This record gives sequence, structure tokens and C-alpha cells, in this order.
Amino acid sequence: MRGTGAVRLAVLGLMLACVPAEAAGDRALGEYLSSECTSCHQSSGKQVGGIPAIVGHPAEQFVALMNAYRERQRDNQAMQAVAARLSSEEIAALAAYYESLKPNP
Amino acid sequence: MSTSRRTFLTGFAAAGSFAIASPAVLGQAKPRVVVIGGGAGGATAARYIAKDSNGAIAVTLVEENEVYQTCFHSNLFIGGFKSYEDISHRYDALAKNHGITLARARATQIDRDKKEVVLSTGARLPYDRLVVSPGIDLKYDSVAGWSKEVEETMPHGWKPGRQTQLIKQKLDAVPNGGTIVMIAPPNPYRCPPGPYERASMFAHVLKATGRRDCKIFILDPKDSFSKQGVFQEGWEKHYGAMIEWLGPKVHDGIKSVDPKTNTVVTGFETYKDCAFVNVIPAQMAGEIARSAGLAPAGGYCTIDPASMKSAVDPNIFVLGDACIAGDMPKSAFSANSQAKVAAMVIRGELTNARTFPARYINTCWSLIETDDTIKVGGRYEAKDGKIAATETFVSQPRESAELRKENQAENVGWYAAITADMFS
Repeated sequence: MRGTGAVRLAVLGLMLACVPAEAAGDRALGEYLSSECTSCHQSSGKQVGGIPAIVGHPAEQFVALMNAYRERQRDNQAMQAVAARLSSEEIAALAAYYESLKPNP
Repeated sequence: MSTSRRTFLTGFAAAGSFAIASPAVLGQAKPRVVVIGGGAGGATAARYIAKDSNGAIAVTLVEENEVYQTCFHSNLFIGGFKSYEDISHRYDALAKNHGITLARARATQIDRDKKEVVLSTGARLPYDRLVVSPGIDLKYDSVAGWSKEVEETMPHGWKPGRQTQLIKQKLDAVPNGGTIVMIAPPNPYRCPPGPYERASMFAHVLKATGRRDCKIFILDPKDSFSKQGVFQEGWEKHYGAMIEWLGPKVHDGIKSVDPKTNTVVTGFETYKDCAFVNVIPAQMAGEIARSAGLAPAGGYCTIDPASMKSAVDPNIFVLGDACIAGDMPKSAFSANSQAKVAAMVIRGELTNARTFPARYINTCWSLIETDDTIKVGGRYEAKDGKIAATETFVSQPRESAELRKENQAENVGWYAAITADMFS
């Protein structure tokens, strides 16, 4: 348990060091929100069929993509519906969380 | 507070909570959660509670079957797009990866006063919180002349396993020119587009095997059905007049079936010597939920939309097909989504983990013909005393073949992801 906490702090430190301030989000919130993503986007980072892998995705790109779905500039009914209900803070939280993960296929 | 400062603080709190979390129940080593049912609701709930609590909560999953066949994508098995192995899953990895205890038995009783689940083995499992996700039971008396005794002659195929295989066997035995009658269920039932995707798969198999003179009649007690416009457009495009849907205004009531002669009688017509009759009856919450008094009005269980907590017992959560989930349909995706809300609330109550407002999501893909898949879905939140849709979408007529093919690629990817989200 202690080990897990230490790993988490290390990951957090890495995250703070690497993520630009404007893209940094509430990682715990991101982790909860990500449970909505994992029904389609595998948490292992594996891609199957037409659902892209999002684990380890750079935060800035993640935010830009989600904003494009939210503004309906990118097509996909399911992703537009998801993005429509996410605030900018929530998108930043998701981006920070997914960027902090490593694929584990 | 700046965003990065907030990140640091909440991140620190999350990391620290593993060390300082105290069980809500004093005098015992770990709080205990029992989950009844290893489907999309139960398996997901067990996995997320065990995984996210990092061993701080003892989770027991009660499931009778060693191997689980998914009801979702069972139509793709019937249509020949998937093998039986493709829709079969085991619980070993789930138990091993997250330290979940498997109780391979049937839950026969919930003793709500003692907070114990009684198993078919006689064992009693005490719980601090209980997740009930038993799926549906069939109302065998909802179609006159049909009963449990004749469910192999006129299969329903609405619970996975042998029934799904029976549907495929009966379909494969239909001679060219034969008549298939499907009796569709009344609302609310598991998988609203399911009967219509299944009829599509029947037609796909018949067409692909040179049995184009067959006829599929869908006798529906409902005036309309999920994705009706795009289903009917697809049927006409791919299968001509093979599939005919008849609502109550046309058939004037489904009067009875006779399994001995494979006959179906409606107010308007008698279908004699059918090659195959598929009766999908009315449904209700699984027995264990009803016998525990969780469905006081009969049928399905009332829940609190912000937590998935039973409206009649604050220590019990009801997920998936067994509950009344407002605007959410009864689907595996819905159950999987509801399970994550329940898991979050349960961890909050038992280990003081951070909690967030409930949010839910669903998408249902349906295959009409190879590479022609439609979808319907939405986002949901607790609002006005129910789980209410905040965003919805549905496929439209005359969409491009390219988009429909992309939908099928999503459908394939979703299945792989949700089964990993349940069983890995």
C-alpha cells in the first residue's frame, strides 16, 4: 500500500514536471471521468476495431480533440455527446490522467 | 486556486488516502462488499471496487456459471459473424488480477436485517454493502400457450447460453420458403433494439444460404420500436420483403401460440406450420431482487439516480436490467456505466474515497447487414428524481455506407473494450 502511494506520488511529480500549466488538470477527477471512456477505449491501451487507443495520449492534443468534438467540428455522434457534457476543467483533468498512463498491452 | 495547485493537492489527497483510509465499520479488518451476478453490471462493479480500493475492501462475486456468454453480440453469433467462443468469457483473470473472491453458487436469499446473502450451497456471506445485478427473469405467462416447458420448442434466446445456440440451430434448419415468426416483447425489456437486430441476422443468414423465399414476421405488442426508421430502411434495402413488422393495429393482438403445431394466432391472422417460432416474452427483475423486496411495485427495482442505491435499502445497490434507470435503456453498456457510479459511491462510504457527481453513458450498436451498422445512445445525469438524458443521438436514414461501416468497426472495438472492462 505504501509502495502504491509512492508510485502515485512519483507519477504525480512526473506529471507536474512534464505537463504545461494550461494543460494540467485534476488527475483524481480525470481518473473517475475516465471510467466513462473505458467502456470503449481499453485501459490497457490496446486498439481493437474502430475505437482508437487513448492511453498515453499527449494532453495538449487530447484537449484539442475533445474541444473539436464539443464544438462539433469533428464527426462522431457518440464522442460529440460525450464532449458536450464535459467542462474545460473536466477535459483538462481527463487529458492529464490519460497522458500520465503508459500502455500495457 | 490555480489549476496546478489544485492538481497537487487533490493528487496528494488521493495518494494519501490509501494510507489513512479507515474502514467505515469498526472492529473488522476490512469492509465487505458482496456482488450478486457476474454480468455487465456485477462484474464491472466487483472489478472497480476491488481495483480502485487497492485491496482496502474485500469483494466477493457470487456467480453460478463458470463461463459467461454475453447476451450482447449473441445476435452476431446467430448471424455467423462471431463464434460461440468469441462470446464466452471466464472469471479467472478478474479474480486473480484484483483479489476478488469468487463464490460459484446461486444467491437464494438476501437477509436484509442481518445483512447476509444466503447461497445455494447453504453458505451465508455477510456484507457491509451489497450489489444486486441479477439481470432479468422471463414472464412465462405473458404469451398464452407458451411456458417454461416449451422453451426448447419455441426458444426465446433472451438469456445467453443454450437458448442462444437453440435459436441458431432452429434458424439453420429452416427450409427455403419457410415462415419464421418472432413475437417481440412489451416494454420495458432487455436490449430494446435486440429483437430487430436479431431479425436482421435471421434474414442475413437466410439470404447468404440461398433461402430467399423465407418470410420473417415480427409480431410486436408495441406501436413503435428502437431505431425503427433506420431498421426498416435497411431491411428493405438488403432483404426486400423478407422481413415484415406488424404492430398491434395490424395484427390485432397476439392471442396464443401452439408449440405442438408451431402455430401462432393473432386477432387478424393464423400462422400455421411455422418453420421456427421465436417467443421473446415480457420480462422483470431477476428473482433474487424481487424476493428481497427490492421491487415493491413488482417488476423492476427503484433506485436513487445519484448513486444506484436501492430506494428501499441504503446498504443495497441495484444495477443493470433489474433496475428502473429512467431514460437509460436496459443494455450491457448501461449496466457497465451504472456499476462505475455504484463502485465510486461504495468506496466513498466504506473507505472515505473521494466522490464525484454521478454521470452515465450508453450506446447500442445494431448490425443490419455486413458493414451496415446503426447506433443509438446518450449521456445521462441524475435530474428531477430520475436518470435523465442530457444528450441523445440516433443514426439517420440515408447515411453513407462509409459511416455505417465505421459504426461496425466501433461496435467491434466496443465489445473488446467492455469485456476487458468486465473480465480482465
